[in-house]
Amino acid sequence: MNPAVGIAAVAAVSVATAVIGFYGLRISRTTGDFYVASRTVPPWWNASAIGGEYLSAASFLGVAGLILLSGTDALWYPVGYTAGYLMLLLFVAAPLRRSGAYTIPDFTEARLDSRAVRRVTSLAVVMVGWLYIVPQLHGAALTIRTTTGLPSWAGSTAVVVVVCLTVVAGGMRSITFVQAFQFWLKLTALAVPLIFILLVLAEDGAPALAAVATNPGGAAPASPYQSISLLVALLFGTLGLPHVLVRFYTNPDGHSARRTTLIVLGLLSVFYLFPTAYGLAGRLFAPDLARAGQADALVLLLPGRLVGGPAGDLLSALVVAGAFAAFLSTTSGLVVSLAGVISQDVLGGSVRGFRVAALVSIIVPLGLALMTDSLALAGSVGLVFAFTASTICPVLLLGIWWRGLTDVGAIAGMVTGGLLCGGAMVAGTVLGMAGTPPWLAQPAAWSVPAAFTVMVLTSRATSSRVPRTITRVMTRLHTPERPLVTER
Amino acid sequence: MTRVRVTAPRSASRSLADSSAEPRESAEDSAVGQVFVRSLIRSQLRLALVVAGGFLLILGAFPLLLAATPGLAQTRIAGIPFDWLLLGAGIYPVTGISAWLYIRSAARNEARYRDLAGGK
Repeated sequence: MNPAVGIAAVAAVSVATAVIGFYGLRISRTTGDFYVASRTVPPWWNASAIGGEYLSAASFLGVAGLILLSGTDALWYPVGYTAGYLMLLLFVAAPLRRSGAYTIPDFTEARLDSRAVRRVTSLAVVMVGWLYIVPQLHGAALTIRTTTGLPSWAGSTAVVVVVCLTVVAGGMRSITFVQAFQFWLKLTALAVPLIFILLVLAEDGAPALAAVATNPGGAAPASPYQSISLLVALLFGTLGLPHVLVRFYTNPDGHSARRTTLIVLGLLSVFYLFPTAYGLAGRLFAPDLARAGQADALVLLLPGRLVGGPAGDLLSALVVAGAFAAFLSTTSGLVVSLAGVISQDVLGGSVRGFRVAALVSIIVPLGLALMTDSLALAGSVGLVFAFTASTICPVLLLGIWWRGLTDVGAIAGMVTGGLLCGGAMVAGTVLGMAGTPPWLAQPAAWSVPAAFTVMVLTSRATSSRVPRTITRVMTRLHTPERPLVTER
Repeated sequence: MTRVRVTAPRSASRSLADSSAEPRESAEDSAVGQVFVRSLIRSQLRLALVVAGGFLLILGAFPLLLAATPGLAQTRIAGIPFDWLLLGAGIYPVTGISAWLYIRSAARNEARYRDLAGGK
């Protein structure tokens, strides 16, 4: 690919993001604007923004790469990413919006009336956020390396600089505009090249689909345990993701939080058809990428290969732009929610503190990303979902639906889940991809039930500690807002 | 123009536990109100569990169907193998329909609660 094309695409997305971010600066004046966009964002904007934030490097590059490697086994990733949103809608969306809390630690502190629970939740949120930013930066490094030939660190650093500029300048209000724009950019960036690819293929005659069933890289088929464990991670992990949850506070009430989620489900369903199509096309026309260990670059390279010429260059530029939008939007969403947590807990919650916290929340994962290298983007994001499902998900689900949860139980469960899942992740890294047994590589199937069990049993044992405010809190979480009453 | 110093609203504990200005306080204070609230929570939880369970059953049935019917996975529809169509595209409508049914029923539960709590 022509390096200039890649650089131009990255520059264009970065400038567009920064411009929309600065435009947003003029309308964000209060701390409320900074954190949750004042809850005045219309559902379609908000749904696009949620979609934009959620579709990360794993969705844009990783899913197609993994489908190229392991075929239908990898289809569980997009299915799980989407179905996770269904679980979010069923169990979390409306009550969490009605809680009126700004962040997950706000919610757990209020629900359990405990500062200690708040601190443990904050720690879990910050770890999830950092772990989740790292694959985004890996994706950026991969994109820059593949399309421009520049060193890997240039890609990660470019993302960090743009995110810092937009977040520090505008907060959540501008982020909402940026994210919504980036969702549609990502969808266009996958859809338009695919249409051209199909046109070219139609001209050349129908392709032979015989080779689809064999894995080009020689990947072994997944066992039922692996698929089930992955689904557990994705289904339960989504409803604990900090950057996704904070978005629900931008809805005016619980019912509109549900409607927004329904729109998001529709947007995600349409989006994931495209990485799937790229993966399928990759198995037919670019199986050598799998053998060369470049599966994650499939989406970036396929349009240039199949279309070619100046049209191919333009399409490649579009895909690169979309990929960068994916890194930028997920990273900035994570940084905003992490900065919200860190600034409230450590720095006293001023706008200045928010800016300092934003810097802290992105410098640490940048260091991690520069020290490590990505194996498979969708896989490493899958592990972050497993960690979220083992820590934040149990405390949210039980906190919303079970009166018996206590502060001690919540802490015990989160610590158990975090240690088990974190331990499995560390062990997997030490043992390497080949040496890790499946139960250790996909820990969610046992670490999530363990966290729930410990949380329930410990709460039972300490049932005298159920907070006195429980009746009031549960009423608030589950009863509909009165119509025509505007909340502040 | 004066400069106003803004600080983050430490809102959570206040807004969740303090109900002084809340329109929902009658439900919190009366025993009858609490009966309605508990029944609302139960019906919402039951609804969520039923929808989630139904969705997961369908999700689990897809690979079982493919495994139990030899040759089905390789059947081509418009040139694309059936297992790709089923797992790659067929699950999304199921998700959307589940979500839509849930939202309708959840809103109906809330409307019933409103009638009960408001009309006593």
